[in-house]
Amino acid sequence: MKEQFTPKIVGFLCNWCSYAGADLAGAAKLKIMPSLTVIRVMCSSRIDPNLVLTTLLLGADGILIAGCHPGDCHYEKGNYYARRRFALLKKVIKTLKIDPERLQLSWVSASEGKRYAEVVNQFTEKIKKLGPNPIQTKPYL
Amino acid sequence: MSDKIGVYVCECGPNIADKVDIKKILAEISALNEPPEKIIIAKKHKLLCSKEGQDFLADEITKNELTHLVIAACSPRDHDITFMNVCKKTDLNPYLYKLVNIREHCAWIIPDKDEATEKAIQYIRAGISRVTYQAPLTEKELDSIPDVLVIGAGIAGIEASLSLAGENRKVYLVEKTSSIGGKVTRFEKILPHQGTNLDIIQEKIQAVQENENIKVFTETEVEKAIGFFGNFEIILKNIHNEEQKNDFKVGAVVVATGFDLTDPEKIPRYGYGKIEDIYTSMEIEESNSKTGKILLKSGKPPKSAALIHCVGREEKGYCSRVCCNYMFKIAQYLKEKIPAIKITEFYQDLCLPNKADQEFFIDTKNKGVDFIRFKDIAVRQKDKEKFIEYTKMDGKKEKISAEMIILAPAIEPAEGSKDIAELLNISLDETGFFQEAHQKLNPVATSIDGVYIIGSAQNPKDISDSIIDAQAVGGKILTQLIPGVKLVPEVTVSEISDAFCTGCQTCLSVCSYGAIYFDEDRNISIVNEAICRGCGNCVASCPSGAAHAKHFTSAQIYQEVLEAIR
Ligand SMILES: Cc1cc2nc3c(=O)[nH]c(=O)nc-3n(C[C@H](O)[C@H](O)[C@H](O)COP(=O)(O)OP(=O)(O)OC[C@H]3O[C@@H](n4cnc5c(N)ncnc54)[C@H](O)[C@@H]3O)c2cc1C
Ligand code: SF4
Ligand code: SF4
Ligand code: SF4
Ligand code: FES
Repeated sequence: MKEQFTPKIVGFLCNWCSYAGADLAGAAKLKIMPSLTVIRVMCSSRIDPNLVLTTLLLGADGILIAGCHPGDCHYEKGNYYARRRFALLKKVIKTLKIDPERLQLSWVSASEGKRYAEVVNQFTEKIKKLGPNPIQTKPYL
Repeated sequence: MSDKIGVYVCECGPNIADKVDIKKILAEISALNEPPEKIIIAKKHKLLCSKEGQDFLADEITKNELTHLVIAACSPRDHDITFMNVCKKTDLNPYLYKLVNIREHCAWIIPDKDEATEKAIQYIRAGISRVTYQAPLTEKELDSIPDVLVIGAGIAGIEASLSLAGENRKVYLVEKTSSIGGKVTRFEKILPHQGTNLDIIQEKIQAVQENENIKVFTETEVEKAIGFFGNFEIILKNIHNEEQKNDFKVGAVVVATGFDLTDPEKIPRYGYGKIEDIYTSMEIEESNSKTGKILLKSGKPPKSAALIHCVGREEKGYCSRVCCNYMFKIAQYLKEKIPAIKITEFYQDLCLPNKADQEFFIDTKNKGVDFIRFKDIAVRQKDKEKFIEYTKMDGKKEKISAEMIILAPAIEPAEGSKDIAELLNISLDETGFFQEAHQKLNPVATSIDGVYIIGSAQNPKDISDSIIDAQAVGGKILTQLIPGVKLVPEVTVSEISDAFCTGCQTCLSVCSYGAIYFDEDRNISIVNEAICRGCGNCVASCPSGAAHAKHFTSAQIYQEVLEAIR
């Protein structure tokens, strides 16, 4: 039997909405696939393009950026900046010969525990289908 | 110096203990011990957040002379502060500790115990890597000034000043016109109870004038306001004499600049400004309160009047909320003064939001006022006679004539709101009113700490709603800006290293709080730590890697990333 592929996924969650949503998913004891590792940041706008690209080049199979719904960012407009950077990143990633589907941006509010579980599980399934990240160079750090 | 890292796994009663193999975790984490550079002490505890657990931790930190602390337990949203406070009781800087969430993000969501254990180990390893990259940070204390600047002396500004001024707190009340009181002083009566005359307003105005803790500046505008919650520097200027300035410091700023009526001349179909005897509601209020009469230009009382609501509502894209009610009031003025007058009110929708409004409407109707709901409306003149031509809801076109026409123009933000917004670094929303921090949950606050918006500057409002705002802002300021209490600004803020900054000012443009300023002389941008909230947006925007988010540096985040993809 072929060895099952366990993807390595990094989840950048904003503290105020998405991380709280993830906590709620936990409190509700929802079943969530273990491939994603949560990294807490204060706002989705903290995620700089460099961080995303380096993480992919380091070999992450997928990156999820999750923030508050548009209009709900704890810092007013942070998620709008995150959205713009995300749109640009999708294009840049393509030029690196990495499937842009490996990067996802989702809005998850503090009350959307169920949605958080769905987002993570669906994204994990998607990455499983895509298989391992072809780029496994270990660049500078 | 070697790192001595204490790792404490919490059982959280059965919450964590039953779901992961803590023994295995401790064994694997202990194996990371690499003396003498990296000494790791790994232990478990039943309930770390309990008093007993906290004492245990404090004791461990001191006894083992820990340089770093990692706690594997619940969400930082639950107990980060608890454990930071434990650190504060010891010699360990609270920013050299990291809480790893193995409860919500492992134990509770991964049913397979082996998988959950593996995941917990991964998270704890990431925590250990990260914590050694963390830097000690010190909380600073700032003196705060309890005094408050209120801009605009309408009913909202007056009420706010009265609720704020006190023994230890001065209020500076700034008004651009020559007298205080705002629009309400121009009315004869206040709805809905026609019995309420202006005495109650006059009493408040007098109370402001007699209050020695309120300093009123009329014919004055704010020229400058810079600073942050607890410490704003203010400069006022006299409108007629630019040289006459006042400067002082306050801790908070309340914007109560009120509203203006939209100019009906801009909407030609109402004939305002071209056809005789068409007035705005405010003109009627003013002449009525001055002369006690409502007369045609000819000096005669009108035999008929048409009151048109919702003037400019479609153009503005919002309902002005107060017009329906005051138009009933105007109809009642007319009926009292000219009992034989025929009155027709034209409306698009009726807005009766308060509990007494429905009764007031019915009362007005019962006094013989006709109400017609229209789809379209226009005013035309033919041989000195004025006609209101309208399309009813069923599509039928009809017209009636009236000697006097009174318009209820949309309430719009006061002239100059844009300048005030720029001055204070707050925003206007798409309607032009000041933008609140949250429409539902935080309506008197703005995006800037210590700057508040109240009354009809925020949204069309009647007097009682303006007073509610003023009292709300009183509550906010009185509880947050306490005389003698120091302010502790956010510690995990951004900083810009001058060696790397190219002065491109991208960071300035993305910061929602105006926390970054540009130093022209040195051609670099600088973060004002007292204003920065630590979102990290500037960090992500900086093309030269000059901006860093303290406690969320790239190096720290990469440590977590590396463990996540090992
Ligand atoms: C015709 C009419 C009738 C009404 N009748 C009633 C009624 O019967 N009952 C009721 O509850 N409501 C009524 N309203 C609504 C009522 O007028 C408002 O609720 C009330 O005036 C709001 O108070 P405010 O303090 O927010 O604004 P305002 O009354 O507009 O006061 C704002 C003040 O700020 C000053 N200002 C503006 N910009 C600056 C600046 N840049 N610097 C310094 N000062 C500045 C202005 O000069 C003014 O004095 C009526 C409104 C209209 C138009
Ligand atoms: S510290 Fe957190 S994990 Fe530990 S007992 Fe308290 S709530 Fe549970
Ligand atoms: S974006 Fe970076 S380089 Fe540009 S001014 Fe800001 S800190 Fe300096
Ligand atoms: S971290 Fe956020 S609040 Fe602070 S300066 Fe940067 S963008 Fe502004
Ligand atoms: S705080 Fe959640 S996206 Fe900004």
